[in-house]
Amino acid sequence: MQIEREAWAVLLILLLAAAVAYAHVTTTTEEYSRYNTGWNGTSALPAEEVRDLRNLDTAATLLILAPDRPFTAEEVGYLRTFLDAGGRVVIADEQGAANSLLADLGSTMRVRPGNLSSLERDRADPGIFAARVVGNTSLFAGVGTVLVNRPAAVTGGEPLLETAALTWEDADGDGRISGDEVFGTAVTCAAEGNLTVLGDESLFINAMLAENPQFIENIQPVQVDRIHSGTGTANPIVNTRLWIQETPPAAAAVAALAILPVAWHFGRKRDD
Amino acid sequence: MNARASHTILAAAAVLVLVLIGVQAVDPVLYAAKNISTAAHADPATIQKRSPGDAASLVPLMDDLLGQTGTLALTIKLKDYESAERDLARYSELSRRFDRLVVTLDVSGTDIGEFQQNNRQNQDALTALLNDTRQFDALQRLEIEVRGDDEQHMTVVYEGEALRQKMRESFSAYAKREAATVRIAEHYDINATPYQESVDHFAEVADAANGWQEEINGNGTGPAQSPLVIAVTPVEGSYGDVLLIGGAHAGGRPGTPIDIYVDSRMAATAALDDGRAYVHPYQVGRILAGPHLAYATAGTIYSNVAAFEVLPQNTSITLALAEVNGTTVACTGNLTTDDARPVTQAPVLIRVDGDTLVAAETDGNGTYRKDIPLPAGEHALRAEFHAAGYPLNASESPTEIATLRGEGLSPFPFAAAIAAAAGTGWYLRRRRPEENTPAAEPEATPPPEAARPAPQVSIAGLPPREAATVLFCALRARLNLPKTKTPRDCARIAPAYAVFFERYERIRYAGETPSEEELMDMERIALGGDADRA
Repeated sequence: MQIEREAWAVLLILLLAAAVAYAHVTTTTEEYSRYNTGWNGTSALPAEEVRDLRNLDTAATLLILAPDRPFTAEEVGYLRTFLDAGGRVVIADEQGAANSLLADLGSTMRVRPGNLSSLERDRADPGIFAARVVGNTSLFAGVGTVLVNRPAAVTGGEPLLETAALTWEDADGDGRISGDEVFGTAVTCAAEGNLTVLGDESLFINAMLAENPQFIENIQPVQVDRIHSGTGTANPIVNTRLWIQETPPAAAAVAALAILPVAWHFGRKRDD
Repeated sequence: MNARASHTILAAAAVLVLVLIGVQAVDPVLYAAKNISTAAHADPATIQKRSPGDAASLVPLMDDLLGQTGTLALTIKLKDYESAERDLARYSELSRRFDRLVVTLDVSGTDIGEFQQNNRQNQDALTALLNDTRQFDALQRLEIEVRGDDEQHMTVVYEGEALRQKMRESFSAYAKREAATVRIAEHYDINATPYQESVDHFAEVADAANGWQEEINGNGTGPAQSPLVIAVTPVEGSYGDVLLIGGAHAGGRPGTPIDIYVDSRMAATAALDDGRAYVHPYQVGRILAGPHLAYATAGTIYSNVAAFEVLPQNTSITLALAEVNGTTVACTGNLTTDDARPVTQAPVLIRVDGDTLVAAETDGNGTYRKDIPLPAGEHALRAEFHAAGYPLNASESPTEIATLRGEGLSPFPFAAAIAAAAGTGWYLRRRRPEENTPAAEPEATPPPEAARPAPQVSIAGLPPREAATVLFCALRARLNLPKTKTPRDCARIAPAYAVFFERYERIRYAGETPSEEELMDMERIALGGDADRA
C-alpha cells in the first residue's frame, strides 16, 4: 500500500516535471516571437501566420511586424498585387528596416528610427504615452488615442496618429529633454491608400494588447507574414516541431515511429 | 549513510539556505521586477502610473499669456485703468502658474524656458507701462493747472521728460523680444497676433508721450534739461558687479536727500555732498538680465533717465550626497557664477527620481544643504537652479545616485516568530507524552485512592443526556481530573473507569440516549458507590 502511494507521488512529480520541461523547451523569450508567452512576445495576438505571399486573403489585414529580412522583387510584386486587389497591409516597424520595401512599393512613407518621448503622459516612462488619432481610417474607428510604447516617427503619407506638441526624440536616452533636443509633434502612423505604416511594433506585444483593445479588434482578421516578420524563433525544438507539423512525410514518419513499437509488442504477444 | 547523518545534512542545508535568503531578503533589489524593458519597449504593467499632471496645459497657457499681453496693452492704451488692473492681475496669476509648470516639467532648458524669460520681462514692462501711463496722465492734467507758475511748470516738465525717456527705453526692450517670442509661438502653433498687437499698442502709448513732451518743448514753456542729472558707471555689469549710480543737483544744497529709482522701484537714498554730487554703489543682484532704467528725484525735481544693461552670466551648481542614516540623505553643494562668485540667498531645487522637487536655499557663501528622507533603494538626485528673476542662466548638477538601506528589519516579526516557535515546541513537548505514552499518564494524576469524596449531585428530573453529562462532570471532579480533559482523555488517564467514560463519549458525541438502568449505573460509579468501578 505504502509503495503504491509512493509510486503515484513519483509519477505525479514526473508528470509535473515533464510539463515544466515541455513549456520550457517550446517557449522562448525572443522579442515579438509567437512562441514567447512573456510580456514582449506576441503569443496572445489573435492572428494567423502565412508563409506564402502569393495567395493572400484580401479580407484579412496582412501584418508585417518588426521586419528583419529583405523582400525579393517577386515578393514585392505579390504585395503590390495584394494591395491592388484591395487588401490592407500594415507595416509595423521602428528600426527603419521596412524603408527599402516602402521604396520598392513606390510609397513616399518612411520610418525615421528614434526614440520618441513625451511630457504628456501618465506613466513614469517618457516613451509610453498616448498619440492622438488624426486620420479617418477604419483601423482607428472608435479610437480617440492610442497608447504607444517607445515609437518611432513616420514621415510622408496621410497622418493617422500624431503625438502632442511636447514630444521629443530622446537621442541621448536620458528620459528628459536636453542638449539639442526640441519639442514638436510627430506622426507615428501614416497611410497611403491601403498601405499603412506604424512606427510602433510594440502595439502587438502581449503586454500592450489590453492597452488598445479597440485598435486590435479593428485590425482583425490578421495574417502575419511569418517569413519577414520578427515573430519567428531560433528555438530548434520549436522549429523542429513546426517543420514536422508542416511537412506531411515527416508527420507520417513520426506517427509511424510512435505506432511501430506498439505494433511490434502486440505482434510478439500473438506469436507467443 | 545512516538516517541521523542524512537528517543532519538536510538540516544544515536548510539552515544554510535560510541564512542566504535572509541576507538577500533585506536587499530591495530582490523585490524589483527584472527584464521589464528593452530598447524597443517597456512592459507597461511594470511601469509606475502617475498623475498626467499639467503638461497638457503648458501650450494653452502660453497661448493665454500672449493673449493677455494684447488685452492688457490695449486697456492701457485706452486708459481704462480699472480693466487694466484686472488684466494685469490675471496676467500675473497666469505667469505664476506658467513658471511653476516650467519648473515642475523640467523644461527650463528648452525654448519654453526662453519663452518664460521673455514673458517675465514682458510682465515687468507692462506693469511699468501701466504705472507710467497713469503717472503721465496725472502730469498732463497738472501741466495745465500750473501754467503760469514757472517753477512748478518746470518741475512737471522735468518729470514728464523722465517718464518719456523711461517709456521709450522700455518700449525698445519690449519690441526687441518680439522676434524670439513670435518664433517660439509659431513653433507651438500658438496665435501670436495679440502679442504683436501689444507691441503696437505699447508703441502708440510711448509715441503719445513723445508727442506731448515735444508739444510742451515746442511751446517754449520750459527747458527739457533738469537741474538734477543722473548717470550709471559703467553702463553694463553682471551679477555681483557694483555699478555707480550718481550725478549732481545744480539747484540742491549739501545734505539734500536724493531718492534713486531703478526700474521705478526705490533702490536707495543718497545725500548731496559739498560739491552737490551724490553717488550710490548699486550691486547687481536679483534683477533680470537686459536693459534697465535709473532716475533720481529730489523732492519734486526729477532727473533725466539713465539706462544700463545687466548682462546674463552662466552658473554652475554642485551636488554631493552623504547618508545621514538609513532613511535620510544629506544633499550639499555650491552655486557659483562663471567667475566663481557665490550666488547668495538663491532658491535651489533638488529633483528626486525625476518627479519630486525639494526646495533649498543658498546661504551667504552660495552653499546649500538639505536633508531629504527617502525610502530604501536607489534614488537619482539632481540639484537645479532655475534663475527666476536673476541675471543668470539656469544650471543643474550631474545626477547623483543615493542608495539607502532603509530602516532595517523590525525586530518584532523575529521576536514573534521565536515566541511562536517556542510556544509550539512547548505545546508539542507537553502533548507528546499524552499521545505516545498513555499508560504513563495516570502516574502524573492523583491515584483514584486519592480521589475526592463523592460530590453531591442530583440528576432527578433532568433529560437523560444532560443527566449523563452531570454524572461525567461529577466523576471527573471526583477523580481530580482537569476540566479540560475530554471523555477519551479521561478514559486514558483513568483506565479503571474506561467503561464509564467510553459510554459517556458515545452519549455525548454519537448522540445516543442512555436508558434509565444505564443512568443508574453511571450514577453509582460517579458517586463512588461501585467497588469494582466499572
